[in-house]
Amino acid sequence: MTTTDGDLLPQVERVRQGDPEAARSLVAALQPQVLRIVRSHLPVRAAEEDLVQDIFVKLFTRLDQYQARGGVPFEHWVSRLAVRTCLDALRAERRRPELRWSDLPEEQSAWLDFMLVDQAAPPDTAPASARELLEKLLAQLSPDDRLVISLLDLEEKSVKEIAQLTGWSTTLVKVRAFRARRKLRKLAETFKANNPHERL
Amino acid sequence: MKDFDTKWQACTARARQAARRDEEAPFGFANRVVARAFPPGPAPVEFAGERWLARWLAGAVAVLVVCSVVELPHLREAQPLEPGIENAVAQLVWSL
Repeated sequence: MTTTDGDLLPQVERVRQGDPEAARSLVAALQPQVLRIVRSHLPVRAAEEDLVQDIFVKLFTRLDQYQARGGVPFEHWVSRLAVRTCLDALRAERRRPELRWSDLPEEQSAWLDFMLVDQAAPPDTAPASARELLEKLLAQLSPDDRLVISLLDLEEKSVKEIAQLTGWSTTLVKVRAFRARRKLRKLAETFKANNPHERL
Repeated sequence: MKDFDTKWQACTARARQAARRDEEAPFGFANRVVARAFPPGPAPVEFAGERWLARWLAGAVAVLVVCSVVELPHLREAQPLEPGIENAVAQLVWSL
């Protein structure tokens, strides 16, 4: 469902006046947008639906803080709330899942080979395998690094958009992205070097 | 580093082609969210009943305390072994 602020603002006003039907309608309208954000930044051990619910509960609790005249579209405000909630959930995750070569299916290890050796052509695999490998690699990074790379490279957000979503300055976004990519490379190299079944 | 970055971008480009999973909300999702966000308060009648019961109990306790305070000094005084009313009843019964 595609919505614009013009559609949602009357509902927001009705929710503020305590109309539960308007609240249900607002949840239905915003659910796909929030779900996409949660799926992109979901901690490994968190349940997707629980996190989406937490975001909506937070949204209703803080609805009075949203000012339509502030120039921030309502959907941007929701996205920012969702991203920051996911970031908090990622930070709360104490242990990151261990990445082991033996756990990687052949298609995913082919992508890792492609990134680390002089292999010109990318492997001819399904997009899902590339996505899963990236998610496994990103899960090894710190929450802030993971968030910035995910927004920049997987969701193709601009630096300015990321700054708006996270509340960071554009310089900080650029610095974090640069450092995160460097960490990713080191991570992939270490992972490859520790591989007991080296295939290169 | 540059080579890794180029290949990383190739990998992310392929990953972006992955089909989006179903984004439909699970059944009853909006109701669950609204129930969590707006928990129902006590029903008006039930709430009024609880309020009156609490007031009545508080009043009863207050009366009990006042009575105790008023009666406490008298309890320490020597009590007559045969209260007047009992004498009157005994005489009445004897005369019958």
